[in-house]
Amino acid sequence: MAVAWWQIILLTLYAGYQILDELQVYTGLAQPVFAGLVAGLIMGDVTTGLIIGGSMQLTVLGIGTFGGSSKIDANSGTVLATAFSVGIGMNPEQAIAAIAVPVAGLMIQMDILGRFANTFFAHRIDTKIEEMDYKGIERNYLMGALSWSLSRAVPVLLALSLGGSFVNSIVGVLNNQLLWLGNGLAVAGAVLPAVGFAILLRYLPVKKHLPYLILGFVITALLTTVFGNIQVLGGSVAGVVDGFANTFTGMPMLAIALIGFAFAFKEYKRTTEAPKTQHTTNSASEEGEIEDDEI
Amino acid sequence: MTKSNYKLTKKDFNQINRRSLFGFQLGWNYERMQGSGYLYTILPQLRKLYGDGTPELKAMMKTHAQFFNTSNFLNTIVTGIDMAIEEEEGIDAQESIAGIKVGLMGPFAAIGDSIFGALLPTIFGALAANMAVSGNPIGAFIWMIVNFAVMFFRWKQLEIAHKEGVSLVTTMQSRLTAITDAATLLGVFMVGALVATMINVRLSWTPMIGDLVVDVQNNVDMIMPRLLPAVIVGAVYWLLGKKNITSTKAIFIVLIVSIALSALGVISK
Repeated sequence: MAVAWWQIILLTLYAGYQILDELQVYTGLAQPVFAGLVAGLIMGDVTTGLIIGGSMQLTVLGIGTFGGSSKIDANSGTVLATAFSVGIGMNPEQAIAAIAVPVAGLMIQMDILGRFANTFFAHRIDTKIEEMDYKGIERNYLMGALSWSLSRAVPVLLALSLGGSFVNSIVGVLNNQLLWLGNGLAVAGAVLPAVGFAILLRYLPVKKHLPYLILGFVITALLTTVFGNIQVLGGSVAGVVDGFANTFTGMPMLAIALIGFAFAFKEYKRTTEAPKTQHTTNSASEEGEIEDDEI
Repeated sequence: MTKSNYKLTKKDFNQINRRSLFGFQLGWNYERMQGSGYLYTILPQLRKLYGDGTPELKAMMKTHAQFFNTSNFLNTIVTGIDMAIEEEEGIDAQESIAGIKVGLMGPFAAIGDSIFGALLPTIFGALAANMAVSGNPIGAFIWMIVNFAVMFFRWKQLEIAHKEGVSLVTTMQSRLTAITDAATLLGVFMVGALVATMINVRLSWTPMIGDLVVDVQNNVDMIMPRLLPAVIVGAVYWLLGKKNITSTKAIFIVLIVSIALSALGVISK
């Protein structure tokens, strides 16, 4: 068997827990990157888990549960993709496009089912209010955890225990008869984060902050090229010159974030200080207008 | 008409916070969304305020089980304001409580969603994912620490809201506008940086002009490195602006188009 029984149980338990975490405490354990980390730990290959989880994280960056709309379930997708990728030996990037994304899409239906099931408990609560049965209200309320958890745990359990041989045969086909599709899936896995970025840009005030979008892109594009080329150079030189032991790291993303933070900090100071000077002359004007005056 | 003399204690606040943090959305359903969740978080306090078995308690329980939906990061601000009013006025405030809840849930949903639903995940999720794809879990743990800091504020805000009452909303508003403005700037900047690093595909198209093989990717790099990822994101951005295109549909469209372009030999890893 590709995935051991105890691994199936642990992965199922995680799938059932993560949705409760996401809905309430929000420790971060219910994010795709952690789903990959946890599934990777259980499967004994953290790197693969992180690659799949990280890519899925980027794909769903801008997608949140706003106003109770169902969203693509990247966590369950990540769990299954990691389990099968490690268990069967599928290329992680293929697993993202072939397993994680389709599973995440299908799981939307389970989310809807879970939310539907809770309507039943809500009506039981109404009855208990009439009866002034306080313990009954709380009991029926807490039952909601069941519909949430099971809506994630049951599909993951079924897929893990029944899907192994199916995925195994798919992997065989993708690496032989349908190699073009196998390669295509890997490319698609690499392109998918673009969707996450585009959704975010739809959500963020791009027009207002357009210069910073350009700055962020250009600074990073240039630096990442420089860092990348230096790494290649360093590697080649080390291969030729004895005693050349300098190691070159990749571009640190945190440094880029700090540049962005500096701009943001400046903006914050500008918007908080602006109203004070304006308030004496025109206290009734709204903040949005003051900002415009400043520009 | 019995007016309650009960005042909420530290223990009550802790109980509400516990219930909110670990159970606010368990009962989420399509009909009244967080309605039963709101009731659940304050049920013990309602019983203390109105007394078990009284008609007032039943009326208030019904009021609080009605439709409610806001950000699950800021819901206890509404709870705090609500509790302060109910302590003062009791059942007399039934209608105004219902009005305040409906009035506040919208704005707080918008603020909460944009800060906790979009901005923090952009900045820290991107950082975590960026490190994760090269096999490094540190970014993920940084994000977790941030989430625990957020939890601390979620725990504190109930008492602050209870003390300040409705006036808190106006004082918060101006501060929050400035923070949101700065944070969205950082978000936009980070998306720009992510586009440049996280989409690792290249043009593999090599057309022949006469007997000259043109390496398109090389030529594009001379114009601007990482131009292809920027074009792809631009295209998806445009696609999302179309009618009837949901994020899920966009993901599958990108999936299919990428496979097609890869099969045609236009792009590769």
